Amino acid sequence: MTGILKVLNPGIYTTIQDLGRYGHQSEGFSPAGAMDYRAFRLANQLLGNTENAAALEMTLQGGTFEVLSDTFIATAGADMPIDIDGRSHPSGIAIPVLKGSTLTIGAASDGARTYLSVAGGFKVNRVLGSASTHARSGIGGYKGRPLKAFDRLAAYGGQVHKIAQQRVQIPRGDDVVHVVPGQQFERFDEAMQRTFFEGEYELTKDADRMGARLKGPKLEADAHDVLSEPTQLGSIQVPKGGQPIVLLNDRQTAGGYAKIATVARADIPKFVQMRPGETVRFKAVTVEEATEMYKAEMERIKDGTYMETNNDFRAHIRPVSKKVERIMGG
Amino acid sequence: MKIRQFAEDALTIYLGDEIDEVVNRQIVALRHHIEAQSFEGVVEVVPSYTSLIIHFDVFSVELEKLKAALEEIDIDALAQEPFEYRVIEIPVCYGGEYGPDIGYFKESGLSEEDVVRLHADTEYLVYMLGFMPGFPFLGGLDERLYKDRLETPRVSIPAGSVGIGGRQTGMYPFESPGGWHLLGRTPVPLFDADREPSILYEAGDRIVYRSIGEDEYRDIEKRVAQGGYEVISEVRNK
Repeated sequence: MTGILKVLNPGIYTTIQDLGRYGHQSEGFSPAGAMDYRAFRLANQLLGNTENAAALEMTLQGGTFEVLSDTFIATAGADMPIDIDGRSHPSGIAIPVLKGSTLTIGAASDGARTYLSVAGGFKVNRVLGSASTHARSGIGGYKGRPLKAFDRLAAYGGQVHKIAQQRVQIPRGDDVVHVVPGQQFERFDEAMQRTFFEGEYELTKDADRMGARLKGPKLEADAHDVLSEPTQLGSIQVPKGGQPIVLLNDRQTAGGYAKIATVARADIPKFVQMRPGETVRFKAVTVEEATEMYKAEMERIKDGTYMETNNDFRAHIRPVSKKVERIMGG
Repeated sequence: MKIRQFAEDALTIYLGDEIDEVVNRQIVALRHHIEAQSFEGVVEVVPSYTSLIIHFDVFSVELEKLKAALEEIDIDALAQEPFEYRVIEIPVCYGGEYGPDIGYFKESGLSEEDVVRLHADTEYLVYMLGFMPGFPFLGGLDERLYKDRLETPRVSIPAGSVGIGGRQTGMYPFESPGGWHLLGRTPVPLFDADREPSILYEAGDRIVYRSIGEDEYRDIEKRVAQGGYEVISEVRNK
């Protein structure tokens, strides 16, 4: 197995993720997977990888890596500056890197999560069909945990057939997060429902891959405890304290708090790119409307809506053009 | 049977309001029925105490057809049909360092031997799995063993620990923080990615704890490490 990157500095919280682990929630396995499915898919698209190719998810800050073999990398998501051997490159493009180079990905200037893909995707043992790390149960990804210094990552590599001469551009968007009424929506009276939809909720520092605690107008239900029932991505549960928690990819598969709403799948990428201190407002949609929004979002991800022509493409390959031509088979 | 939708890619079916063996039977029967039908786009079916959730792919599911098919199901008839379930024996070394809280039951007038006698050799119904991979929510605990959670939860409970929290008994497949009273520990890995199945039981199965001594604990541990240990399970049909 050829090494592709050696971790010199893992950043704050960096894990290997794919689109998630499905078919095992009944056994209690969280789906895990890339939090911002849009940025993850776009990072893979830049390299012509398969849609489920494993990538690194970097949180608030990137990391420093020694390149162990010639390859291409691409990033998408929060804007994190890229430095390769002292030369800076913008985020959101495919870049060739050579063996022996040092790749540094800096702190996000905006947004929370960035995906780093490599040609072919990272290679790890799949657990129950997925490469996704679920750190809480210590499975998947690289040894079931976030990356540490000196970890050596491998990749599938292979011929890169199509390098997109494009740059990912995702509009920042507003602070509105659409939601579908949840399992216990009726347990909140009309005044409480209004409070939920009219209030501003701030993302607290207690926000990780499992869930995000919000702070805002207090929500009271007739009863906050329910029998443990399956959770869903984006379930907004309200424990007795009245402050909502949004359940995310590494959530427990069953939960026992009243769920007022579910974040619309189309707005998950926007929500998981929020930083602590930023606020959201919730807006109700029907589940049918949410489904149409999600289908339209997936269409935009696939049809190139988020890609723009990268006129600087040549600028980033010139210093290594001979080697790049070799890698590209040209 | 109530069918509801709280997310783009899932239907929730409610079959009751309380923890109940009959409802569990209906949920398990319905789950097997849906899985056997292989509906287009259905990804997985997740049972819980009173409901079951069907996850699907929004691009390939035929939602109206799926809903119509579900509406037509006669759940009572379905739950009458015999179905297979497993009875899995989990060896447990009670007390000592393995079960540091077994002495707490003296407050309720139960000696360590009493606790083992009441806890082991009983068939517990697996209602659902959750909290962590492979963590079973079990029903059937003798009420003399009901015990509130510890006032101060432990920062770390070893994998394989068997305990009691409120009216429930269960076990921790992974090392974890937790507030349950610990009675003992099993040397059997409750999760093994390389074993088929990686989790030994599912909703509708039964678990029986068998009391073992420290020597047998170490022996099983050794056999597990060498790959020579088979979990004892029986398939029943009724």
